[in-house]
Amino acid sequence: MSATITILAQHLLNGVLIGCAYALIAMGLTMIFGVMNIANFAHGEFYMLGGFVAFYLVSLMGLDYFAALPLAVAIVVALAIVLQHSIFRRLREAPMMTTTLVTIGLSILLENAALLLWGPQPQSIPTPFPTKPLSFFGVYTTPLYLFCMAVTAALIVVGHVLIRRTRMGKAMRATFQNKESAALVGIRIDRIYAYAFAFGAALAAAAGAVLGGFIPVEPATGGIITLKAFVVVILGGMGSFVGAIVGGLLLGLAEALGAGYMPTGWKDAIGFFAVILVLLFRPEGLFKRV
Amino acid sequence: MRTLKLVLAVAVSLAVAPLATAQETVRIGVVQPMTGPVAYDGNIYVNTVKMLVDDLNAKGGVLGKKIELVIEDGACNPAQSVNAAEKLVVRDKVVGLLGAFCSTSTAAVMEVAKKHKVPLITGISTAAQLTEQGNPYFFRAVATTPMLGNAFGPVLPKALNAKRFAFLTLNDDWGRSMQASYPKAIESGGGQIVANEFFQQSDLQFLSQITKVKAANPDAIVLAANTQQAVALSKQIRELGVTVPLVGEGAWSSDSYIKLAGPAAEGVYGLVEYVYTIKSPINEAFVKEFQAKLKENPSKFAGAAHNVLHIMVDAIGRAGTTDPEKIRAALEKTDYNGLVGNIKFDAKHQAYGQTVYLSLVKNGVPDVVETAKIAKP
Repeated sequence: MSATITILAQHLLNGVLIGCAYALIAMGLTMIFGVMNIANFAHGEFYMLGGFVAFYLVSLMGLDYFAALPLAVAIVVALAIVLQHSIFRRLREAPMMTTTLVTIGLSILLENAALLLWGPQPQSIPTPFPTKPLSFFGVYTTPLYLFCMAVTAALIVVGHVLIRRTRMGKAMRATFQNKESAALVGIRIDRIYAYAFAFGAALAAAAGAVLGGFIPVEPATGGIITLKAFVVVILGGMGSFVGAIVGGLLLGLAEALGAGYMPTGWKDAIGFFAVILVLLFRPEGLFKRV
Repeated sequence: MRTLKLVLAVAVSLAVAPLATAQETVRIGVVQPMTGPVAYDGNIYVNTVKMLVDDLNAKGGVLGKKIELVIEDGACNPAQSVNAAEKLVVRDKVVGLLGAFCSTSTAAVMEVAKKHKVPLITGISTAAQLTEQGNPYFFRAVATTPMLGNAFGPVLPKALNAKRFAFLTLNDDWGRSMQASYPKAIESGGGQIVANEFFQQSDLQFLSQITKVKAANPDAIVLAANTQQAVALSKQIRELGVTVPLVGEGAWSSDSYIKLAGPAAEGVYGLVEYVYTIKSPINEAFVKEFQAKLKENPSKFAGAAHNVLHIMVDAIGRAGTTDPEKIRAALEKTDYNGLVGNIKFDAKHQAYGQTVYLSLVKNGVPDVVETAKIAKP
């Protein structure tokens, strides 16, 4: 009996760890969608870039791990700002189909640029944490996993507070609800767009940099990350922050428990099956956008 | 008018020039994944054939002509691999094809080879059914997963000092055929199977699967994975506190895996068709050149590239012509001595007679701890 509980606890812990990461990535995606009305298919590439830049800062330039993580995020954000200024600002009034196609093109461009720059070799970011696993009553984890969970959870809270409590967050939510009215009351839409895109990219890059310690990153990683993020965002409701957080945790737990107690070949099917159900019976997602 | 004629003449001669040189080379087409999930391993293969073709050309090429490689990216994707093979055969007029990597892609490219009557050799795709189709243009210069299982399964329980075996493999033709064929051979050696789990090509973390395997309380875990997933798998297995020996088909003895996995690679067994620590003059020469030019130790994909390229060039030499039909006939009579000993093809064009290896990583070096010979099927 106690062995069954230990295994259940292990599955739950695995689910929360992965779920936090899904939530963090999906928050960025849902923010870009909500504010800019862009379905960003290049979102996973920001995750991949975050991982690669952190890897290069730590292992080649010998930077301290804890300094490299924020610096990697800053570098990816700088790139995101350039992209937003040079591409997405010009497409503000373009139909969604156009911006979607542009993001798909951008994802291919970024993936292949990474392939050319860094080659196809998968890389793990060296971390200062001891690799010896920790055991709590037979449930295993490592300091790195705990660190990942703490950082992703903290960033989720920070993101939530930023959107709920600050002036900028208020302006974002206003833009969200009605762009024209927001502009009329003096909100600088251009700036809000730039913030949203940079912030969304920052969350994805942070996830890439933190998870890169135990999930090797390679140029093609972005594709599956984008896919998972869309699953979460559709589950939680396009443009809903709470939805992204809850959806991310739900998907992480569903995958962990589903794979744990059903044939593991079905692991990915669980998330996508949930998406089909949500689209059929509750197309606005579990949470409506706010 | 005269100037115009001159310009035309120059234009025509320029246009014809590449054609003329093209006929003076023997073109071999390569379809390998250079992007996508197994791009790293695919690129090792491609770099190896490039290096070896330079060597062969320095020694005079084949049929008195230089060998020219035409390389296309198949991305481990059946549709893209078919397009690549069509282009190589129809546009580049290659006399033979080498590829593809993933069994599903090779199955698709086989049909192109058959349609255009051009011989195709794979050195990597191990799904059993490929050679069962009786495709006369397809040759496989590597042991299938069931053959490898038959050769090593009976000795695994003793070699690993294990009784309870758990399987955790990629959910594709390769991993599925491994889980279908190994258990019988392992049971004949006194082992028993306690878990059968899968992961997807796109999976980045395996925590659920590992937890499940751990719950079955195995003495050893049998794995199938290529480099990227092998690194993440072995790290995550250790991170969840599982300490039993790991034994795998795939990347488990390659330099890149050992380097990336670090301490997690120590004590991992590999079931491999090639490992760079084989002691033979031909292998030692190959390893030396590989280290000098490509700055790492050759992986099994480099070994596969060495085998198939030489088998193809050997057949072209014996055929005495670039007629693909004659090359195909020459391939059937292959009796090649290479890195892994002697290779012949049976009636279904499946290679046999070669040596396979059980390697064990110790201090970052995959030592050969056991060998077996692939029996004629």
